[in-house]
Amino acid sequence: MSAIEPTLALPKARDRIVGRGWIVALALLALVGFGAWIYQLTQGLVVTGMRDVVSWGMYIFTFAFFVGLSAGGLIMASAAELFGIRSLRPLSRIGVMTAAACVLVAAMMIIPDLGKPARVWELFRYPNWRSPLVWDVIIIVVYFCFASADLIVMTRRGIAPGRRGRILRMMALVGLPAAVMLHTITAWIFGLQISRPWWNTALMAPVFVVSAILSGTALVALVALAARRFGRLELPDETVSALRKLIITAICVELYMVGADYVTILWGNVPSERAALDMILPGGSWQWVFWLEWIAGGLFPLILLSLPRLRRRPGMMALASVLVLVGVYAFRIELVDGGLLKPLVMLAPGQSMGSFTAGQSSFQLIGNYYPTWVEFAITAGMMAFLALLITLGYRWLRSLEAGHGAAEPEGAGG
Amino acid sequence: MATEQKREPHWAMVIDQERCVGCWTCAVGCKEINNEPLGVWWNRILTASPNEITGEAAAPSPAAPASDNIDVPHGVFPALEMDYIPVACQHCNDAPCLRVCPVGATFRRDDGTVLIDYERCIGCRYCIAACPYGVRVFGWGQEKRDPDFTVGYGRDYRTDGGRLVFTPDRPTGVVEKCTWCVERVDEGQQPFCVDVCPTGARVFGDAGDSGSEVAGLIEQGGATRLLPELGTEPRVFYLPAKPERSLS
Ligand code: SF4
Ligand code: SF4
Ligand code: SF4
Repeated sequence: MSAIEPTLALPKARDRIVGRGWIVALALLALVGFGAWIYQLTQGLVVTGMRDVVSWGMYIFTFAFFVGLSAGGLIMASAAELFGIRSLRPLSRIGVMTAAACVLVAAMMIIPDLGKPARVWELFRYPNWRSPLVWDVIIIVVYFCFASADLIVMTRRGIAPGRRGRILRMMALVGLPAAVMLHTITAWIFGLQISRPWWNTALMAPVFVVSAILSGTALVALVALAARRFGRLELPDETVSALRKLIITAICVELYMVGADYVTILWGNVPSERAALDMILPGGSWQWVFWLEWIAGGLFPLILLSLPRLRRRPGMMALASVLVLVGVYAFRIELVDGGLLKPLVMLAPGQSMGSFTAGQSSFQLIGNYYPTWVEFAITAGMMAFLALLITLGYRWLRSLEAGHGAAEPEGAGG
Repeated sequence: MATEQKREPHWAMVIDQERCVGCWTCAVGCKEINNEPLGVWWNRILTASPNEITGEAAAPSPAAPASDNIDVPHGVFPALEMDYIPVACQHCNDAPCLRVCPVGATFRRDDGTVLIDYERCIGCRYCIAACPYGVRVFGWGQEKRDPDFTVGYGRDYRTDGGRLVFTPDRPTGVVEKCTWCVERVDEGQQPFCVDVCPTGARVFGDAGDSGSEVAGLIEQGGATRLLPELGTEPRVFYLPAKPERSLS
């Protein structure tokens, strides 16, 4: 079974134009984001919507989102090798390529959040080993190197099929725990903080792993469907069906965990824990994240993917994947900013804002955050850059396949 | 600084809520000596009900603040209560900000003072997320002052092997907070907020010296700390106001 069906026939002219336009548009968007970052560098982070109470915003929840996206591919590829799930194998290469791209862009996403980006090298020069952020930097580097190595083994010529299979299985043995650790440690950045009752739950790590699998699978499904539509990827029905089942399971497990957390907080009724949840539940001022997470990103995709009449249409699968990504993004927002909106010490006049606008108070009691155009531009630029990397990565894989002539069956002989 | 033989002091601060009248002199004094720009407060006077977030028995946090405004009593008439909690960095013994700082820009001196190295901080703001007391302030943009000139100590101050812990104009993109006025304390002076408090509600000294005033106040009993259940062990102690002082 080949990962990507080589096609020697030239793509249709129209598709070629669409493909080129897509790349040009993404590159332009990425450039706009880069420009916005340069602007932010000259002004400071004052051009963002963050202030002292909500001191982490779009950059950080997008970072957490990208980290999550990187899960799907590698976990899928590793699981395919380790547990011999044949139906997922055709996606191994795309999956690992996507994982590498996502984790790379996730690491880049941290840079615009830093007040002093030029000092980022200090993370390696003076690491404080007690800081979960340092652990995260390490696991991100390890994960990226690992995904790249995996990709090299998968694509290098001249490795005998049996040997390649053995190496891949061995790598999967490392890859699966590495992926789990990546999401666990990213969760711990938040989950270990006693200052934020909303974050400080042992559930944080498992929820991160599940939501990462969910969003990662949705992304791989989306890439695969796009590749089938525009790039002539051979996508067997059983693979689509395996993806569908994986997404359904992950949605259910994720919502189950988040729901269990809600009930624990509601029943316990401890004010400092209720504080965040009350904002997020229907009726609260941040309730839109709840609707996006539970209905748009939860219930809708579940219906689209399970109703027999709907699920056969490929468009529905793509739509469901997009909705899932929206839902998981909403979950990241809920998670990161839910923890920051209501500080533990919430007494008048509140916290110092850290910046001054004439006619406005220098203090803020309850956090308030709305991203500015700079944050939107930089984040959109990063997303475009990620899409660009994945598109180019896919083309590279396809050109390799075409160059090989007959594709070797990877991992066969297991 | 201290000679080799001399024991390192263990600085501590005691704030007497019975004496505090909520006048904000210490907060404004702090702004002056440290040249804090507009919108930046290292020290604030919170309006609360008595013992709201201090004391072992107290609820860890209010469900909702009584008012967005200061000087508004808490409760429902006629059962009104009001108290002031001056809050700056608590110089925690087990400081979450110090644990999370990825590059060790936040550090503790042997005398217990928690400081930030402005030349090391990468501006990740993890410490702001980790501090339970909301006392850290980020340099979001170009500092603004009105009137626009530098006041206060006015020089750079370096400690612990040359780490820059005070500079009159903080660089954009780093985190700042109360330094316990190291530059003054190291020269035998008191922190500025202690000196300017008109009611003498603030006492600073060596808690390790049993003869000192702070040690006595902590010893005499009744001293509490903010959010003690978190185990951060602040080195700022509060002497709660006596109950009869409530307005009811
Ligand atoms: S009060 Fe906050 S900033 Fe100060 S030492 Fe404690 S955790 Fe750190
Ligand atoms: S913002 Fe600065 S002091 Fe705070 S954790 Fe990051 S590097 Fe450390
Ligand atoms: S000790 Fe110094 S820096 Fe800290 S609150 Fe008092 S005046 Fe401000």
